[in-house]
Amino acid sequence: MTITGEVGAWSARGDAAAAVVARGLTKVYGQGDAAVHALRGVDISFATGAFTAIMGPSGSGKSTLMHCLAGLDTVSGGQVHIGDVELTGLNDKQLTLLRRERIGFIFQAFNLLPTLTAEQNIRLPLEIAGRQADRDLFDRVVETVGLRDRLGHKPAELSGGQQQRVAVARALISKPQVIFADEPTGNLDSRSGAEVLSFLRTSVHELGQTIVMVTHDPVAASYADRVVFLRDGLLVSELVKPTPQSVLDTLMKLEA
Amino acid sequence: MLKTTLAGLRAHKLRLLLTSLAIALGVGFIAGTFVLTDTIDAGFTQKFSAAADRIDAAVTPAPGEASREVPLVPVAVLERVRAVDGVADAQGLVQGTSALMGKDGKVAGDYPTAGVSIAEGSLNRTLITSGSAPKTPAEAVLDENTARIRGFAVGETITVLDSEEVKHEFTLVGLFDVGLNQELGFTGAVGFTTGTARSMTGEKGFREIDVAAAEGVTQEAVRDSIAAALGSGYRVKTGKDYADAMARQNGADTQMITMGLLMFGLVAMFVAALVIYNTFNILVAQRTREMALLRCIGATRGQVFGSIVLESVVVGLLSSVLGLLLGYGLGAGALAVLTSVGAPLPSATAALAPRTIVLGLVIGLVVTVGAALLPARSATRVAPIAALRTQVEEHTFRAGLIRVIFASLFLVAGVGATVAALGMEAGQAALIVVMVGGSLVFLGVLTLGPVIVKPLGAFVGWLPARLFKVPGRLAVDNSRRNPKRSATTTVALTVGVTLMTLIAVLTGTMRATYSQKLDDQFPVDFMVQPQARDSGLPRALAEGLRTRPELTGVAAFRQTLAKVGKDEYEVGTFVAPADFRPELATGSIDVLKPGTAVVADYVAKELGLKVGDRLPVRTAKAGTVELTVVSTFDPEVADLAGVTVPDGDFERYFGAVGDSRVLVNARDGVSSEQARKVVEAAAQPYPTAKVASSTEVRGEFDEALDMMLMIITGLLGLAVLISLLGIANTLSLSVHERTRESALLRALGLTRPQLRWMLSVEALILGLIGALVGVVLGVTFGWAAAQTMTEEVAFRLPVVQILAFVALSGLAGVLAAVLPARRAARASIVGSLASG
Repeated sequence: MTITGEVGAWSARGDAAAAVVARGLTKVYGQGDAAVHALRGVDISFATGAFTAIMGPSGSGKSTLMHCLAGLDTVSGGQVHIGDVELTGLNDKQLTLLRRERIGFIFQAFNLLPTLTAEQNIRLPLEIAGRQADRDLFDRVVETVGLRDRLGHKPAELSGGQQQRVAVARALISKPQVIFADEPTGNLDSRSGAEVLSFLRTSVHELGQTIVMVTHDPVAASYADRVVFLRDGLLVSELVKPTPQSVLDTLMKLEA
Repeated sequence: MLKTTLAGLRAHKLRLLLTSLAIALGVGFIAGTFVLTDTIDAGFTQKFSAAADRIDAAVTPAPGEASREVPLVPVAVLERVRAVDGVADAQGLVQGTSALMGKDGKVAGDYPTAGVSIAEGSLNRTLITSGSAPKTPAEAVLDENTARIRGFAVGETITVLDSEEVKHEFTLVGLFDVGLNQELGFTGAVGFTTGTARSMTGEKGFREIDVAAAEGVTQEAVRDSIAAALGSGYRVKTGKDYADAMARQNGADTQMITMGLLMFGLVAMFVAALVIYNTFNILVAQRTREMALLRCIGATRGQVFGSIVLESVVVGLLSSVLGLLLGYGLGAGALAVLTSVGAPLPSATAALAPRTIVLGLVIGLVVTVGAALLPARSATRVAPIAALRTQVEEHTFRAGLIRVIFASLFLVAGVGATVAALGMEAGQAALIVVMVGGSLVFLGVLTLGPVIVKPLGAFVGWLPARLFKVPGRLAVDNSRRNPKRSATTTVALTVGVTLMTLIAVLTGTMRATYSQKLDDQFPVDFMVQPQARDSGLPRALAEGLRTRPELTGVAAFRQTLAKVGKDEYEVGTFVAPADFRPELATGSIDVLKPGTAVVADYVAKELGLKVGDRLPVRTAKAGTVELTVVSTFDPEVADLAGVTVPDGDFERYFGAVGDSRVLVNARDGVSSEQARKVVEAAAQPYPTAKVASSTEVRGEFDEALDMMLMIITGLLGLAVLISLLGIANTLSLSVHERTRESALLRALGLTRPQLRWMLSVEALILGLIGALVGVVLGVTFGWAAAQTMTEEVAFRLPVVQILAFVALSGLAGVLAAVLPARRAARASIVGSLASG
């Protein structure tokens, strides 16, 4: 726990331009003796236009943190802000609308609806919201992820990497305030994974997108601008401009 | 393996329950049918054996004489029976007609009440429920029902017409229960002392003679001595045999009911089988990994097969037991309802016979296991390696060659049979061929289902997809993604809707055809008829009607039975204005001159007559006369007596015969109410004259048809209910399968209501596809069946009813989706994303 001292210093930083802010976030599963404290009071903020990776050993609470930040799961205590909206007071309908308007998702697997073509999958969030896709943006996004000739295919006819690229395009198309990616490369071979990650980084640097990514892969994390580390439901460390080696070293220190 | 299966079943109690319900409903209906009819049978047997305790022997006329009149035991026989050694008492039973007059001075009811004798002494089997039995010729009793409807109370005076239509007054001394006599229950009855009953009804003998044996004489002994005394020409039975015979006769009646109801039960079971088949198919698909894992750790194909079959055995057994309980309740309930509406049924506690239990269990088990066999076989094809795959692949479907060949064979054979039937002469044979053709086409559609369900889904989903935006579009896609599953689900509904539409088309067509016939045959406003169809009205009635200025076109018909050639036929005539022109096969009605006759087609055919032939008719007044046949007619077109002669001739041949029918029209400009009043006033002096208007006749027929339509639709409703369980089941299994998909949609911003909508619309589409196919099949084969029923059919499409069927099917589908949709919408996104 030697590293915890640093937390206060960096968590306050960048609040002015923060896309997502969490304060005193706690999450408890179950009750009484069976209670599991997944998050024990997390204070963190994610700067707009930055690519942040959340890392930590299994059971550290990194997925739970992401679910709570994205309004997919309810919190037990604390506050979450997405932009100027506080999530913790919202009901299911408001949360749904918030996700629809401001958040994009990329999951590890099962990102696409099997009945829809790639293009339909990309446009799905806009259609759910009843919005028209910006033609230029659509073209740019499709160009960025290199799916121009695959738009008419169903997911079953695409490779794993292509499927994830469709998922990336889908997350980008609605210009969300923040994209949450949960192990987006977990199911991919290293080449496809690298492709997907560089698309994510490109979208941050060229389109000004904010991305928060959960991963356990140091190489994946090294694509991010910043890596934060969780252990036992607490933020314990962070790295700016990480390399695979520096991420690995920090992890080793945490495991020890 | 047994333990694994049972543990799996225990883990999915709800799924088990839904599946079981489909079978339980079918078994319940079948068991309920047996419970109902068994109970009625048992009640009858019980009542008849009670009667047998009172009677030691019964004498009835020997059957076999082909006559239109009920055979009777002559009165003199009673004395001969009483004189036989060992006979303590003998009573003759009289049953004829003696019309009760209502308080309005007209005969009561559409049919004359029966006149019966109430036996005296120990042989009396009639149950007097209040007051006492008639003891003098001035006393009479009424059956309870008639007394209630006509408003007579014990102590009042009632007026009854004798067979000559002379009024007699009686003091009403009591009420009685008609018991199991359906005939008396239908017409109502007046009871007299035996002598009075004979004079009132004019019956020349007894329906039967009941005998009580003297002390110490056995039933067999008294039967034998009576039989010896009477010689041949009579049938003598012991009381026990008599009761058994009566019970058997009633048993035959209930057997008809049983068969009829079982037909609906079989339809329900067929639908249930489809539901079970589909459910097991989906379960097997969803448990692919589970099966593969079992195979990985060493289970053989046989063991996997066995585990699925075992599961179906457990489901089948449980649901059959559930069905038997349900059936018992249904049977008892139906009995209670029937008794409360006054059906003449013996009271008895519902009986669950061993045969019912065995049949219910066997049917439930065989259908369930049978339907699970194919899914079980496909489970054995799961390769062990499937356990390692993370994602269950989508079930793409391609129409196999074999499927197409089979479907084509069914369709070609079915359409061929139907077309052939349309070319056949109208009648039962043609109808059966149409039904066979329809079944074959249905099988073809069933086989082809997965192929046609996709385009149909797109067609039916066109509007919902536009109306409900994203949820609607996703729903349409989902309904089409697994064509085999959707097809089986919808076909189950199609069965019910097809049959309902078929019945609706048939009744609608019958209504239109009848209405058209009525216009042809009863092109008049009113018809006056005697209450008893075989009696006549005084001719003065028609004369009186002719003099009324408000009325016109008064046509009076008379007829009587006479021996024509070898057999008895109706010989009749008519008096009508010149514009009454019944249509003949050749020539006009003017050809009917003295000494001639026109005959109906069937008479000409049976007697081998053609125009110009001579026809011997044995008359009452003029001996046997030879008539020249001058033309024939179709009795469906021209409503005349089988052999019709000129009016003058008829009078000469048969003397004064009353009018059997008088047709009357209102003159133009006279309102039907006013005309009715005039006709009623003219008929008032003749108590047996009943006035009917064409609208009334039509109304009665419509009512009867509506009733039939309602009952059949209600019985078919069960099949529809089962198919809805199927939709609910399929949907909830699909929801389970798509847990992660739903979670993804929710994460992307689909609200809970939208997710619920998506599933409701999917169910709506499934319901509509099923209904649409059903309507097309039902209308087509309803039309074909109608063509084969009679020659001239006025086809009518009951559009409103059919639209209602389609709308209700869609609505029912949406209802079936309520629970699965709620479950899907409630699921937590995070939990669902992690699952699977």
